[in-house]
Amino acid sequence: MELTWNGGETGFRWPWLVPVLVLLVVGLMVWWTRSRGRRTAAGASYVAHAARLRALPRYRALVRRQVVLGTCLTVAALVACAGAIVLGGRVQERQTHAQEDRTRDIMLCLDSSGSMAEVDAEVVREFRTIVGGLRGERVGLTIWSGVAITVFPLTDDYDYVLEQLGEAEDAFGAGGVYSEAYSVYTAGTVIDWDIQSQLGDGLASCVQRFDRRDEDRSRAIVLASDNEPIGQGVYDLPAAAELAREANVVVHAIAPPTTGDRPSAARLFSDAATSTGGTFSMLGDDGSAAGVIKAIGDLDTSEIERPPVVQVLDRPRLGTVLAGIGVGGLGVVWLAQGLLAVRDRREEEAS
Amino acid sequence: MPAHLTRIKTRLSIHAHRKVRGLLEGEYAALHVGRGIDFNDLREYVRGDDVKDIDWKASARGRQLLVKRYVAERKHTVLLCVSTGRSMAAMNDAAVGKRELAVFVSGLMGLLAVRHGDLVSLVRGDAAEQHAERPRGGELHLERLLGGIHDAIRPDGSAADLTALLRYVARTVHRRTILVIVCDDTSVPDEAADLLRRLTVQHEVLLLTIGDLDPTLPAVAERRLVDVDTAAEVPGWLRHDRQLRRELAALVGAEEASLRRRLDQLGVVHERVHDTDSAVAAVFRLLERQRHARRR
Repeated sequence: MELTWNGGETGFRWPWLVPVLVLLVVGLMVWWTRSRGRRTAAGASYVAHAARLRALPRYRALVRRQVVLGTCLTVAALVACAGAIVLGGRVQERQTHAQEDRTRDIMLCLDSSGSMAEVDAEVVREFRTIVGGLRGERVGLTIWSGVAITVFPLTDDYDYVLEQLGEAEDAFGAGGVYSEAYSVYTAGTVIDWDIQSQLGDGLASCVQRFDRRDEDRSRAIVLASDNEPIGQGVYDLPAAAELAREANVVVHAIAPPTTGDRPSAARLFSDAATSTGGTFSMLGDDGSAAGVIKAIGDLDTSEIERPPVVQVLDRPRLGTVLAGIGVGGLGVVWLAQGLLAVRDRREEEAS
Repeated sequence: MPAHLTRIKTRLSIHAHRKVRGLLEGEYAALHVGRGIDFNDLREYVRGDDVKDIDWKASARGRQLLVKRYVAERKHTVLLCVSTGRSMAAMNDAAVGKRELAVFVSGLMGLLAVRHGDLVSLVRGDAAEQHAERPRGGELHLERLLGGIHDAIRPDGSAADLTALLRYVARTVHRRTILVIVCDDTSVPDEAADLLRRLTVQHEVLLLTIGDLDPTLPAVAERRLVDVDTAAEVPGWLRHDRQLRRELAALVGAEEASLRRRLDQLGVVHERVHDTDSAVAAVFRLLERQRHARRR
């Protein structure tokens, strides 16, 4: 499942609270200044000839200092208030997740017998081109001849997939059966030289490579083989196809052109593939592997439509930062006031 | 009813002032230049009495110094001239207002006059209006005058104006009086100086200035202070500053010194009343200085 963040709309959870709080702050400020202005009458003692106090240089210095400190204090307090208001309004980001449920599993199931090397290289090359466009699908690679080997299990780590497919392409395209790269790569697929290229066993093995059986996923196998078995396997082809059908696995078969020389084998292979709802194509006669890739793309139809998930996230950073700046500013101003007071006292003691 | 006078008498009867009380009466008596010839009675000598008045024979008989008292040739008038501007409504120190102090020193002078059988008159006023009372004797009259002073001094009144007050006195008072000026001015403008010079010719001028509250005083640090002139608050945060306190003290000291110098040049006897405790002493000093000044 892939989550895509579609346009985070940022706004207040309680937009009405913001003007209410702003009005409250403004109201408090007005009330405060008014009450300070009106406070002069009652309860105060009168002092006369205060004008000479105001004329003193020290008085002016103190007033200047107080004005600066007061302004800083007011600004810091207002910033803190703004932060608190923003926090109070609760900034939230609304995110819509379009759920793309590409629950597809694709298993590349390649016959690694000598005759298939070029076909495999071709299939892998084609497949690499579409890995980049995949989203959420899981891809696995199994090679088989007498025995099946999982090169890598189903995964959506596409970098890894591309790397592995590159290795596979290099190995298969290295120059035939006798190259070292090929034999190293396919080592272990043949344990008994009398039993090779067992299409039935290979298909059955690949069907068994699918995990998460309880989930509703589209499963496909891209099966490349020339259906030229040597010896007797556990499963014959129709039985393996039956197994695939039961597991709801679609088998897309790709056969090299040489298969056409053996019509019965080709027909058997074709029947097995189509019986699972898949396709059968002969490499080279109709655009080859590209057709298979297209068929895989068509598996999209089994995607499950889910409504987009709406997620609302608190974004308190702006408010916190503002309030933090404000409170920090208040602290700094108070500190400055304290330092000035201490300095005054020092000078007093010194003199 | 006589609330102001009672308070003044109470204060005078406090132990510390008891001695001074007699002295004050002697000093006051010595203010009068012209004395009657008719012998009235004898009384105990108090410091400040003129030595010429001692009846040596009677003293020898009575084993204590006695002075002769004469019937005054004519009654003298003490003219209380009180500035009642709004600055007088302010505080003098942490506990007492300048108004109380003005009433106190006026009442003290008035009481001395009344006790001596003299008449007391009052001129009070500020920049807006001046007001005069007829000279009359008796404590009841004095009490009424004191009440008038007390009620005239209001924080919402006009500004103090010593010049206007002196001009009013110069214009309206024609008899010779003992002119007791009570004000709170920190300096004497030129016009007021001219008027004072002119008034000293006619009257025995005694000038009492009342000090102001130092807003930086630690005793009033917790109190809200409002400038009586501008109705603006004197902010509390700067009143703790010691440097400001020092500068203000220096300024006030300089102003006081220059005022004293100016009044000395004018030949006006002057005392500053700093607080209630020193008020009696200040009045006493004032009378004494006046006596010496005249003899010079």
